[in-house]
Order: sequence, then C-alpha cells, then structure tokens
Amino acid sequence: MTMTNSPPVIEVSPEATRPSEPAGLSGLVMTTDHRTVGRLFMATSLIFGVGVALVGVLIGLERSVSSGPADIFGGLNAYFTMWTLYRMAFVLLVVMPLLMGMAMLVVPRQVGAANLAFPRAALASYWSWLIGSVIVVSSVFAGGGWGALDGVTGSERDAMTLTVLGTGWVIVSLLAGAVNVATTVVSLRAVGMTLAKIPLFCWSMLVTATVWLFTLPIAVANLVIIYADLRGGPPGAFGAAEGPDIWLQLDWLVEQPAVFAMAVPVLGIVGEIVSAATKNPLSRYTVVLTLVGLFGLLAIGGWSQDYFTTPGDHRYRLVYVAAGIATALVVLAFYGAVADTLRRGFHNLIGVPSAALTGSVVALVLLGVGVGAGALRVISLTRDDTRWDEMTTFGLLERSTGIGVFNAVVVAALAGAAAGVWHWAPEILGRPLGENDGRRVAVVVLTAGLTLAGPDAVAGFFGAVDGPVPGGDTSGVLTTISMVGSIVLVLGLADAAAAAGRALRSGSAAGRAEPNLVRTGSGEPT
Amino acid sequence: MKTTNLPAPGLVRPRTLMVGSLFATAATVIAFCTLVAVYVQQRQHARSIGAEWFPAGTIEMGPPGMMMMTLVLSVVTAQWAVQATRAQDRPHGYIALATTLLFGTAVLVQFSFVYQSTGFEIGVGIASLLFYTVTGSFVVLLVVAMIFMVVTTVRSLVGPFESHRADAVQAAAFFWHGGVACYFLVWYVVFITK
Repeated sequence: MTMTNSPPVIEVSPEATRPSEPAGLSGLVMTTDHRTVGRLFMATSLIFGVGVALVGVLIGLERSVSSGPADIFGGLNAYFTMWTLYRMAFVLLVVMPLLMGMAMLVVPRQVGAANLAFPRAALASYWSWLIGSVIVVSSVFAGGGWGALDGVTGSERDAMTLTVLGTGWVIVSLLAGAVNVATTVVSLRAVGMTLAKIPLFCWSMLVTATVWLFTLPIAVANLVIIYADLRGGPPGAFGAAEGPDIWLQLDWLVEQPAVFAMAVPVLGIVGEIVSAATKNPLSRYTVVLTLVGLFGLLAIGGWSQDYFTTPGDHRYRLVYVAAGIATALVVLAFYGAVADTLRRGFHNLIGVPSAALTGSVVALVLLGVGVGAGALRVISLTRDDTRWDEMTTFGLLERSTGIGVFNAVVVAALAGAAAGVWHWAPEILGRPLGENDGRRVAVVVLTAGLTLAGPDAVAGFFGAVDGPVPGGDTSGVLTTISMVGSIVLVLGLADAAAAAGRALRSGSAAGRAEPNLVRTGSGEPT
Repeated sequence: MKTTNLPAPGLVRPRTLMVGSLFATAATVIAFCTLVAVYVQQRQHARSIGAEWFPAGTIEMGPPGMMMMTLVLSVVTAQWAVQATRAQDRPHGYIALATTLLFGTAVLVQFSFVYQSTGFEIGVGIASLLFYTVTGSFVVLLVVAMIFMVVTTVRSLVGPFESHRADAVQAAAFFWHGGVACYFLVWYVVFITK
C-alpha cells in the first residue's frame, strides 16, 4: 500500500544548498558564499588596520617629540591629512568592515540560513568598498584629504574631490552590506526563532546595521553637498579646500556619540562568549536585548554635527549631555547582566579563562573607559561655557579627551572582534586558534588601549588639546605614553594576524572544534 | 507500509527583497532629510542676516506643482503594476509599468524646464548650490527608481510566474513611493516656501 497522506521529510542542510564555488582567484571574484565574502572583509580590514595603526604611531611621534609644528610630516597640510586619515580610516576602513565581515560570516549560520539575503550584493559591497578604500588612500597620498590648512594647489584640490568621492563610495558600500545583514536577520530566521530569541550577536548586528542606516546616509548627504561645492560651488562654502571646513562637516562621524555605534556588536560578542563560557544563558535576556538596543539608539549621531549648530544653543547642549550620560548608564547596566551571569556560572569557569573570555573582558574594560570618559567629558562641558563654545566653534582645538574616547572605543571594538574570532574560529578560519596566543593578544590589546586612550582622556581634563594646528598639541609624558600605545597596538594587530597565520599553516583538521554558533535567548544551543 | 518520495512542498519564501527595499528606502529618505535640513538651516541663516535667498519671481510655482501631481499619479500606477504582476496579468502589467515610466520621464523633462527657467549658476552662491544639490539628488534618485521598477517588473512578467517576483515589484514600488515622499519634501521646502 502506498501512503501519501504524510508529507515527505526532506532535510536540507545549509552545506547542501550552497552552489558549488569556483576555486582559486576566480572564486574570490565570483563567490556568493557568505563565508568567503566575510573572510575577505575581515582580512582586508586587518591589513588596513596595521597601516592605520602605523599612521597613529607617526602622529604620536609628531605630538611627543616634534620640536615645531608638523616637523615629522614636513608640513602642516601633510600632518592635517594624516591626522584626519587616522580617524576616518579607522572607522571606515578598519572597524566597520571588520565587524561587517564577521557578521556576514556568522549571522546566516546563527539564524539558520544557508546564505545571506543577497549574496551577490554582499560580494559587490566588498569589491565596491575595496575600490572606494583604495581611492581614498591613494587620493590622500596624492595630496588630497578632507581639507587643508596651509593652502592648496589645483591638483591637490582635484585629489580632495577624489577623496570625498571615495569616502562616499566606501560609505554606500558599507550601507549595502548593512542592509544585507539586517535583511538576513529579519527575513531568514529559522521558523520559531523570534527576535526575542535570536542570538545576542545577531541582535547586536541588527541594531548596528539599523544605527548605520540612520547615521551613514547623513554623512553621504554631507559628502554630496561638499562634492557639489568642490566641483563648482561658490568659494568659501561647504567645499572650501583651503581650510578645515570639509573635515568639520564630517568629524561628527568619528566623535561621540556616533563613534559608539562601532561598539554595539562588542556587546553581542561579549554576551555570547560569557554565556558559552559559563554554560548559562545571560541573565534577564530580554533586558539585555533592550540594553543593546538602547545603546544603539544613543549611538545614532547625525544630529550632533556641530558645524551647523548655532553656538550657545542650550537645547542641543542638553541633549548632547544627556545622551553621553545615558550611554554610560546603559553600559553599566550591561556590566551588571554580564557580572550576574558570571556569578551564576562561576562553577563552570574552571582553570585559566579562555582566550575569548579574556578578550571579552578586555573589550568591556576598554569600552568602559571610552563611555566613562565620554560621560565625564559631557559633564565637564556643562560646567564651562568657554569649553562648550570652544568645542562647537573651534572644532580643531578640542580637548584631548575626545581622541581618548575615540581610541578607547575603536580599540574596544578591535578587542571584541578578536574575541569573536577566537570564539568562532572553527567557523571563521576552519580550525581553532591557540588559546595562549589569544590570551597574549588580549593582554597586548588591553595595554595598547589603556596607554593609547588613557593619557589623552585624562590630559584633556587638565587643559590638553588635540589638534593639527600650531600650538594645538601638548607635548609631554602623557603624549609619549600615548605614542607607545600606538606602537603596542601595531604589535597587537601583527600578533593577532600571526596567530591566525600559524593556525592556518598548522593545517591539521585534528584540532577542529564545534563552532559556538547558535545559542538562543534561552541559552540552549540549537 | 511504504511512502512515496514526493517533492518537498514549496518553501514559503521570505520577503527578503521587500525587507531590503524597506531598509534602503529608509536610508535614502534619511539622506534626503539631511539635504533638506541643511537647505533650511542655510536659508534661515541667510534670512537672519538680512540676505536674499532667491531673487523674487525666479522660481515659478506651476511646474513643480505639476511634478508633484505627476508623481502622485505615478504612485497609483506603480501599485497598479504590483497588482497586475500578482494577478499575472501581463497586458495590464506592461501598461502600468509604461505609464509609471512615462510619468517619471515627464518629471525629468519638467525638471529640465525648471533648470532652464530659473537659470541659476551653481557657483554664484550657497542658495543656487544647495538648489542644484537637493533637486539634482532627487533626479538621480528618480532615475534609480525607474531602473529598479523596469528591471523587477520585466523580470516578473517575462517567463514563468513565481510569487517572489511579485514581491520584487512591490519592493521596487515601495522604493518608488519613498522617492515620491522625498520629492514632497523638496517641493514643499524648495519650491513652496522658497
């Protein structure tokens, strides 16, 4: 007898549904595999990371040992260009693509999808981002950048136009990637996996992508206006090449609160690692989801561009200060959830903590330094009208606490990404990474973060300023320590890359471990 | 007892393109809001110091209003294209698409007329710079929306019908509606309140 009353069960594994990929170089260009695209994003951003950190070392040298303005760079324009490149490239060429790559790799597997929502668009976003990044870097070294302080030639003006175009290109590419990740989380979740049950990293990436979608288009609009002006606008308007105006319209992207958007995925990574290490679900998971969402909400930063703000606008000032304090409180509450989870699962933490857990703690410490310094910075602004006007009117002469916050947050993001790589190494690299290597990288990155960000954050409260203008820098012990931090950061990034290289060369699949991919809100691996 | 290996039931395809289009439209609208906000802020600043933004009478009300009406009609025809695709009604689908594109082209032509009639030079002042930046960005947006509409509608109407292709047309229509919302902003801020 033939029975047809029950539907046949056909199990389709993600591996089986993947189309066969071309091998070799053509595989990199034609692939639609989310893992390959994610790895491309991560590897390329790591290379850019080493380069940007080296630029940071040069800036540190300039600030600490230079006897005159811009000695090491050979001119004020070159110093200003590198000063701005360090900030912009750290965000757009290093941290954002690094986290994007990790999300493209991990998110589809966590939500139970075979691939990203738009695999070809993911590949296009990578190549587009890479081309845009090359345009930005090459145009900067051709005399371009985001403005100049000491006059420009015609060719330098053209190079600046190219830098602005490249910046917009990079941002649009990242936006395409963000749309892809967000759509994957929203549309391709397994049946029954509601948003309240998705893994914390997926949720944090959904929040991050949404924050970027609310923030980066504002920067694109700024760039469109600047580009139109550079190509034919009236002299002295938005695209004034002879001055800092171009940079001052874009610097909000690398300042508080927009810079905190880079740290949202850190909360997701840390939450998952702590949950896995303690073999316990995170305490009050819904509350944790809300905290991550709130942190993202407070990191939406387009409104804070002071270039268009009237000096002395107290409403703007009130919101700015409130957002800074609220951000610190949200991170503090997240600390509480993590601490409670660690307390409940303490008996499962046997022996030396894993590399991923060590990296998570490092990321949390650095994030705490960043948001804490940020909160103190905005509180100090309420007590001193002069400093507020100084910040809104003379954007290039800000107190050095601002760069301290920036460095703490980006290094926290790097530490979080490193912890994620160690945690998901079997998925990301195909094999586990060395635990000792991971702990060493975590300690080096912690040292780098504290020495890089700490001195500037503290010195700013005692009047030190940070700016690429004559008299804008404060030389001394603290800036020397900060420069040492830049060197340690380069070493940390190189060490992480070397550890990955060693693991890949070791080749054996004997050490393969089960990837810690899916841990739902209930804490049960699925 | 023996079971027959029947083919698996069709997957309920998630509306990925619709969700992606939603995100992309949101990003586009935010970018437009920023452009318009800068325009308003600069106009306010110019007026606060007693400067003239545009010389009186240089911007006529007629053509921009006609563009608004044209785009409102295109919203209806875009939805008509969605409905026809869902019903796999090829003749109506093509007519709806052609009408939508005709309206889009008409708006482009009207913009060309507006640019000629105003005769602003982009390098003269901030007002003309922002005028061309805001309206020019909308022209680019409209062209992108038209391409999106053509690709998705033609792909859905040519060949065998699949349900997700109707979703694709709806996604394109959603992006189109977002574009019309952007023009509403431009129309009110740039042309009405001048």
